Amino acid sequence: MINLVVALPAEARPLIEFYRLTEKTTIGSFRVYRHQDMSLVISGPGKIAAAAATALLAGNNTSAKQAAWLNVGVAGHATYAIGKSLLAHRITDQATGQSWYPPQLFDLTTTTACLLTVDAPENSYHQEVAYDMEASGFYAVAGRFSSHELVQCFKVVSDNREQSAATLTAASCSRLVTEKLDEIEQLVGALLAMVQDYNSWHAPHAGLEQLASHWHFTVSQQHQLAELARRWKVLMPQQPLWLEGLEKKRNASAVLHCLRQQLDSLTPAVTQETPASRV
Amino acid sequence: MFSIIYVEQQVAEHPRTQAICARFPKAARVSCDRYGEIFNPNAQDFRLQKRRPSLILAHKHHRRVLEAPHGYGLGGHRNYYFSHLLNCLYDCRYCFLQGMYRSAHYVLYVNYEDFGTDIDTTLATADNKPCWFFSGYDCDSLAMEPVSAFVQYFLPFFSRRPLAHIELRTKSTQIRTLLKQTPLDNAVIAFSFTPEEVYRALEHKVPTVERRLQAMLQLQQAGWQLGLRFDPLIYQPDYQVQYRTLFRKLFSQLNSQQLHSVSLGTFRLPRGFFRNIVQLYPDEPLFAGTFSDTQGMISYPQPLEQEMTEFCTREILQHIPESLLYPCTLAS
Repeated sequence: MINLVVALPAEARPLIEFYRLTEKTTIGSFRVYRHQDMSLVISGPGKIAAAAATALLAGNNTSAKQAAWLNVGVAGHATYAIGKSLLAHRITDQATGQSWYPPQLFDLTTTTACLLTVDAPENSYHQEVAYDMEASGFYAVAGRFSSHELVQCFKVVSDNREQSAATLTAASCSRLVTEKLDEIEQLVGALLAMVQDYNSWHAPHAGLEQLASHWHFTVSQQHQLAELARRWKVLMPQQPLWLEGLEKKRNASAVLHCLRQQLDSLTPAVTQETPASRV
Repeated sequence: MFSIIYVEQQVAEHPRTQAICARFPKAARVSCDRYGEIFNPNAQDFRLQKRRPSLILAHKHHRRVLEAPHGYGLGGHRNYYFSHLLNCLYDCRYCFLQGMYRSAHYVLYVNYEDFGTDIDTTLATADNKPCWFFSGYDCDSLAMEPVSAFVQYFLPFFSRRPLAHIELRTKSTQIRTLLKQTPLDNAVIAFSFTPEEVYRALEHKVPTVERRLQAMLQLQQAGWQLGLRFDPLIYQPDYQVQYRTLFRKLFSQLNSQQLHSVSLGTFRLPRGFFRNIVQLYPDEPLFAGTFSDTQGMISYPQPLEQEMTEFCTREILQHIPESLLYPCTLAS
C-alpha cells in the first residue's frame, strides 16, 4: 500500500493518468483517487493542508499493515536547473526550525537534497536548498503512522534564481512531473517492495483468528497467544495453529498451556531456513 | 560505502570530519544540530535501515568512559569501556545493539582527544593500579578502521600508558594498522567466534571463520597478544559437535602459549532489548526457542545454560590452562 500526497491538481494529473487512478471520494475539500494498492490525495497548497490530507488518508486505512508515503510536487531551488529532481534527505520547517531526516535506503540515481518548507512562496532563494510549502506538514503526520524509512518526499525543481515561480503555469507543473514519471515509478517500486517486506515480517499467523473465535482470550492472553503463534509460525510453518484435542480445552488458559507445551518440546536450530529471515 | 554522511555542526570543521568526508566525495553531506535528531526518533526500523546505514559524525559530550557491566572483565578489578562508535558494520542476529538502538546508522564520535582525556582522568583515580579499557562494546573495534582511524590514534596513546590495558574486540580482518605498529604489552586483540553453521545462519556480512583465523595467525606471528571470545554460545541440537570442531580448528593452529585470554558466555539479553529484537525479527529461528527470564535477563533455561557452559569449558581446557579462561555467565 502506498499513499501519494500532492498539493496541486496540475501536479497530480500525470500521476493519476500514469497509475490509472480513479476518483473515489471527495471528503471535505480533498479529492481522493485510488487504484489497487495506491491512493492519492490532492491536498491544496501549504503545510497545514498537506498535514490534513495526509491524516485523512491515514484515517482511511483500517488495516493493521503499514503503508508507504510519498509526497510529490514541484519546488524552488537557488541553483538547481529547472526540471532537476530530488529526494529530500532533510526536511526543515522554516517557521519552527524543526527538522526530519528521511532515511535514504534506495539504490536510485535521484539526487538527494535539503528541503525547506516555507509558509509563503520564496522568491529570493537565500539558501542552497530546495523550497516547498508542504513537506514538513506531510512528514510530521505521515511519520506518525509509518516508519520513517517508508516516508519520502520527491520534488522537481520548477523555479530558481534565474527563473522565478511567477512564470509557473499549471501546464508547466504537469510537464515537469510527467518528465520524471520514470524516476517516480522507480521510487514507488522501491517503497512498495520495502513496505511489502515490512508487512510480511510482521504478518500475524493466519490461524490466530480461528483460535480467538473459539475461546475468549483476555487482553493479556491475546498477547501470549500472539507470541506463541509467532513461534509456531517459525518452528512449524507448514502446520496449522492447532493440536489434536485442542477443541476439548475448556478455556483460553488451557489452550495457551497446551500450545506452549508443544512449542517448548521442540529444539529449534538457528540454521532452520525461513525465507524472510535472510533479508 | 555511504551515500549520506550526517555531520553535527559542532564537528563540521574537525580535521577528522574533513578527512572522513574527503574519503567519500560522492556522499551527500547533511548538516544537523545534534545527532540525536537522526539517531533517536521513535518511528524508525533498525532492520530496514540495516540495508543501507548512513554515517553520522558527532561530538561525544559526556559519559565517555564508563564502568564495564558486571562480568565483562578479564580478571582485573577496574574495568571500563568507551565507545567511539555506535553500531556495527556487521549484522549478527544475536547482537544486543539491535535491541538497544532505534537506528542502524553508525554514529562516529570524532573527538578522540576528549576520550583520551577521560581515560587519563580515570587512570588518575586508580592509585597506580592497572585498569582495563574495553573498546568493542557498542561496535566492532576494527571493522571501520579505514574510515575511523581509531586504532591508529589510540594505540600510540595506550603505548604511553602502561597501566592502561586496552582490549580491541572484533570479528574483522582489518589488521593492517596493527601489523604496521610494534605490538603493545598492554593491548589484546580479541576475536569472537561461533561455529561455522551458526556463522552462516546468524553472522551476516562477517568475515568467514577461516579468514578471521588467518588474521589472528598474522597478528600472532607479529607478536600481538590475542584473545578468543566465545560469547555468545549459541544452542543448536548438535552444538557439542559444532563447538568441539570449532575449538579444535582454532587451537590447533593458534599458539596457545601466546594466547592472552579466552572467554565464553551463553546467549543472553536484557529483557527490553530482547523484546525489541523479537519485534524486529519475529521470523528469526533464534528467537523462537524456549527462554527463561531471570531478573530481567533473557537467557537459555538454566539447566541448558549450565550444560553448554560446562561442556565448552571442558573442551576449551583441553587446549589451554585454566588461568586463561574467563567465563561470562549471569552468575559471574
